[in-house]
Amino acid sequence: MAKKWKQKIQRWLTKQLDLPEDVMMDFPRITMVGQLHIYIENHRGLLTFSDREVRVLLSQGQLLVKGEGFVIKTMWPEELILEGKIEQVLYINE
Amino acid sequence: MKNLWFKRLFGSITVKLIGIGGERIINELIRHHVVIWNVKKLQEGELKFQMFIKDVSHLRKAVRIHRVKVRFIKRGGFPYWLKRLRRNTGLFIGALVAFIIITLLSNMIWKIEIKGASPELEYKMMNQLKQMGVKVGGFQFLVDDPEGIQRKLTAMNEDVTWIGVELNGTSYHFQVVEKEQPEEVEKTSPRHLVAKKEAVIVDYFVEKGEPVVTINDFVKPGQLLVSGLIGREDDKQKVSAKGKILGKTWYTTEVEVDLTTEFELLTGEEWEQMTLDFGNFSIPIWGFSTTKYKHEKVEKNKKELKFFKWTLPVAITSKTVKEVEIHTKSYKKEEARKLALEIAKKDLQKTVPEEAKILDEKILHEKEENGKLKLLISYDVIENIAKEAPIIQEEQED
Repeated sequence: MAKKWKQKIQRWLTKQLDLPEDVMMDFPRITMVGQLHIYIENHRGLLTFSDREVRVLLSQGQLLVKGEGFVIKTMWPEELILEGKIEQVLYINE
Repeated sequence: MKNLWFKRLFGSITVKLIGIGGERIINELIRHHVVIWNVKKLQEGELKFQMFIKDVSHLRKAVRIHRVKVRFIKRGGFPYWLKRLRRNTGLFIGALVAFIIITLLSNMIWKIEIKGASPELEYKMMNQLKQMGVKVGGFQFLVDDPEGIQRKLTAMNEDVTWIGVELNGTSYHFQVVEKEQPEEVEKTSPRHLVAKKEAVIVDYFVEKGEPVVTINDFVKPGQLLVSGLIGREDDKQKVSAKGKILGKTWYTTEVEVDLTTEFELLTGEEWEQMTLDFGNFSIPIWGFSTTKYKHEKVEKNKKELKFFKWTLPVAITSKTVKEVEIHTKSYKKEEARKLALEIAKKDLQKTVPEEAKILDEKILHEKEENGKLKLLISYDVIENIAKEAPIIQEEQED
């Protein structure tokens, strides 16, 4: 209950003060360069990794990236760069 | 942090994880702020990635929690490169020693050549040079620069007019001009003596030939003074006329003297510094004072290192910074005039022959402008005005 309240207040504040959502609300920021790169900021860890499928934990839910020949180019505590041929990007909400 | 160029510098390893749950290891590493890159799945249950060597301890801890097999596949980067180099130490040391030897040999003195000196002077100079450190087998950077050697040698040898010092690679060449040249046996052809310049004859002294002018004659340049044809009118003989004709000549000199002059005086305050220069970059190795004087005079002495015939961009520079005080001195008009006359006289003495005598000086014109005193001075000088001129063939036939 408390978590929901916190989220509501955050959302309201962000809207009222016109702040960027990713900063305020701990959302991931995902940047893609064509099908070549996907750059995920603010992730919470790697769940599964194979050359065809990558599953990344986010603050809420998961991100599923499908494609071919995946290589994690670099990985930092909160960012990662994935390389390969990206075909699908899916949000999975439990 | 985004750029991983420094991964070469710190050294990295490629790690292979065998077993299910390699992702958990990666998460564990990430949680401890370990950077990893090039994560690849080789096949089911096999993960490969690269990381810094310094983070290996984190990997060990992570493996203790999640049991997977770890293989280190490849090592790369600077530390390993250094290790490999250490294995080839012998070769490395050899190259270094060779370089040092060649550098030392390039900076040695291999040859000393003295030209134009008599045997005894040459011997004397060789000894003097040896005392200065200039000897075969000596090091160039331990001796003075050629100008300094030149100065010292000239000071030591009074009987030498000029010594030229040239450093050519590893050999020193000395060109000596001795004052007392052996007197050449004069073998002159028949000649007249003619006037060199406009003058009034004051005195003459003729050894050979027949004077055709007398005292108080005014002569023009090229005018015949002593004839080389002597004897009776019909039977003239050619001789080589010889003698001195002293004539009064005139010189005008213009001098300018500043009524106020600035001159520098050393106060005695100074500091020294030695630097090791690599190209334009210099590292102080002695003397770290950076005292700034209001007015200073910097003396620099740069010794460059040589390799074969090339100069290496490595040099040792010694620098002395001396404090100076600038004084201004202003002259009164009379003082300035006196000074101007002195300067003019010195100038004149440089231009006239050595045996010439200055008789009289007269200020023709004096002008003061822009803080300067301008003087036009005329001098009466007595000098030898005789000049040899060959007897022209036609004249003889007449």
